[in-house]
Amino acid sequence: MAGGVFLDYVDPWINWDWLGSHVPLVLATLWQHVELTAVAVAGGLLIALPLGVIAHRSGSLRLAVLLVFGVFYTIPSLALFAALVPYTGLSGTTAEIPLIGYNVLILVRNVLVGLDEVPKDVLDAADGMGYRPRARLLRVELPLALPSIFAGLRVAIVSTIGLVTITAVIGLGGLGALIYKGLIESFHTPLVVGLVLSIVFAVVADLGAAAAQRVAVPWARPA
Amino acid sequence: MNRRPLWMMAALAVAAILAAACGGSPSSSATSTPSKGTLTVAGFNFPESSILAYIYGKSLEHDGYKINYKVNLGTREVVAPALESGQIDLYAGYAATDLEYYDKKASEATGDVTLTVQRLNNHLQSMGLVALNASAAVDQNAFAMTKANSQKYNATKLSDLAPIGNQLVLGAGPECPTRPYCQPGLKSTYGITFKDFKALDTDGPLTRAAFASNTIQVGLVFSSDGDLTKLGLVVLQDDKHLEAADNVVPIMRQQAATDEVRAVLNKVDSNLTTVDLITMNSQVSIQHQDPDAVAVAYLQQHNYFA
Amino acid sequence: MSLLGLVWQWLTDPQHWQGSNGVPTRLVEHLHLSIESVLIGVVIALPIGIALGHYGKFGTVAINISNTGRAIPSFGLLVLAFQVFGLGDGPIILALTALAIPPMVTNSYVALREVDPDIKDAARGMGYRELAQVLRVELPLAVPLIMAGVRTSALQVVATATLAAFVAGGGLGRYIVDGYATQVYEEMVAGAILVAGLALATELVLAVLQRALVPRGLRLLRAPTTRRAAVFKVA
Repeated sequence: MAGGVFLDYVDPWINWDWLGSHVPLVLATLWQHVELTAVAVAGGLLIALPLGVIAHRSGSLRLAVLLVFGVFYTIPSLALFAALVPYTGLSGTTAEIPLIGYNVLILVRNVLVGLDEVPKDVLDAADGMGYRPRARLLRVELPLALPSIFAGLRVAIVSTIGLVTITAVIGLGGLGALIYKGLIESFHTPLVVGLVLSIVFAVVADLGAAAAQRVAVPWARPA
Repeated sequence: MNRRPLWMMAALAVAAILAAACGGSPSSSATSTPSKGTLTVAGFNFPESSILAYIYGKSLEHDGYKINYKVNLGTREVVAPALESGQIDLYAGYAATDLEYYDKKASEATGDVTLTVQRLNNHLQSMGLVALNASAAVDQNAFAMTKANSQKYNATKLSDLAPIGNQLVLGAGPECPTRPYCQPGLKSTYGITFKDFKALDTDGPLTRAAFASNTIQVGLVFSSDGDLTKLGLVVLQDDKHLEAADNVVPIMRQQAATDEVRAVLNKVDSNLTTVDLITMNSQVSIQHQDPDAVAVAYLQQHNYFA
Repeated sequence: MSLLGLVWQWLTDPQHWQGSNGVPTRLVEHLHLSIESVLIGVVIALPIGIALGHYGKFGTVAINISNTGRAIPSFGLLVLAFQVFGLGDGPIILALTALAIPPMVTNSYVALREVDPDIKDAARGMGYRELAQVLRVELPLAVPLIMAGVRTSALQVVATATLAAFVAGGGLGRYIVDGYATQVYEEMVAGAILVAGLALATELVLAVLQRALVPRGLRLLRAPTTRRAAVFKVA
């Protein structure tokens, strides 16, 4: 092991003493991770929902939105975080702009697909029953698009949780700060703790979103 | 059709944003005791800098200031602009290397620390910054080889490397090829042209791993490292004095440099020695003690909290 | 000069196209890391996914492994590989392969499950033995979804390979990491453009490959595979 080769002090993979005396640090990084993720997903959803609805009606806007956000999506997150620092500083904003941007792409695609999949007959029936366009959207189309939107939400949540760790490079990181600390200080414990907690957080959040979907959309099984 | 799901989604989203906004940053805990002001202290991305940041910060905290810490912020190229723009108020600099950064590579640094700090302040003045008193503690760039390689190439000082540079790979942080005291300095002062340069980290685990796997033969370390002997590394003597007076010196914004702050920091600096640095570095890098714990222990040992 | 102007200057500077830190070298390093990881991943993941899908075993595991795989932060995995195995391309490729496997297992499994049971019956009735049935009947039908999995993995790997620079790896990520450390923004942005370009090129090449591999008859049916292959951002 790389650590053992150098040092007489053999570094265990988890030093429980260190962990016991550093609970506040671990909790603080976990909380930061939750915050950064929540804002990124909520922000993405708040933009993607109306954007998706509008883009659904217009073929050219749809193409433009998918193109712009799609290209944004291919840019490595590390580059975006680092490039924003001179403009928005070493702050949550620098982290959130790329994260929200990525989530907009994921969620807009799912909003569009969800709206696409609403059967034509249902739309016709709604029109026949006298629903005006906005009511039809809110009471018929969007609810039917929910399974697809939830699928996108789950992808967005897990993806964001992973990407947040990379913001450790600009002084944030959430649990990624523990990973980064482990790297810089040649120290196994914070790395393992950060890695394991990130995975647990992602799995729990994914299951939570699936459960939320079961509550909100009882007629559709989560994928 | 069920209206519930839509409202629930909206409520969830709003709740999430509110929770995030009201949660606040974990690093700024609310205290109700009145303080003399808040300062943000930053450190470079290596442990010694964290230790120094905590030493300065904790001594100021003891004096009644509230301190935000931003350790492991990055290289000087990241930290210095943050100071200039006011995102941070103070960092522990190294006189000669900082002068080299702020004088835009005019090579003004010398082995005389007083002169170096004076020249540094000449440059800092117009930026609204100031360097306080330098301490006796020094941490210079140093170049090391493994013991085995030192014997193999018969090299004990840097000038020994000049004829064999093209057989050797240099490893250091990515900023090395542009720092006058690093690769360019080795070329101009010693005439060493390396076979290749490998961008690793600033005296961190990547550099040490590269030494161990012989991916690099010469690497940048710090003269105050606590684990060089343990790692079997040999520092090559700087016989032509490429490295200048890299004494630890607080660099801060003039606005924040009140008389009281200056008094606290200068007092800390007057007692700091190179041996202290080496000891504290080894506590962090070998025993994995926390930099802030090590800093507090140091201050207690020297009766700052009396 | 504006940042974009500086970036253009950086990209057109012949100095940056030669030597050990030149674009060709870094591109080759990046491709080496990516291609090796995806290939090894394919060799491991596809047989497993195909076998599980053919026999219909361990379905829940196969489907959920990609969910769990996505939950692993790529940055943490790279650092772990460095701390366990040390420096070099080997540990990096190991970490990237680990990231590449889950989507391919899931997609292969689902692809094989979706083969119409009637077709499998017909093949069995025609006298195909097990392996031949898989290779000549089921696999060609499963190609679109399997390729979608390979494309997802490939894009993830290309993106994550940029992080290899944090553990002294080579590749285009070096420009981003080094550019940030030295605050030379044009280098960083140039690196970002190069990686984005590589990602797009990878997508294109694999799309062409997929076209070539999908049997003509199936292509005419235009199976909707794009929805299933939601490209997942890991780096």
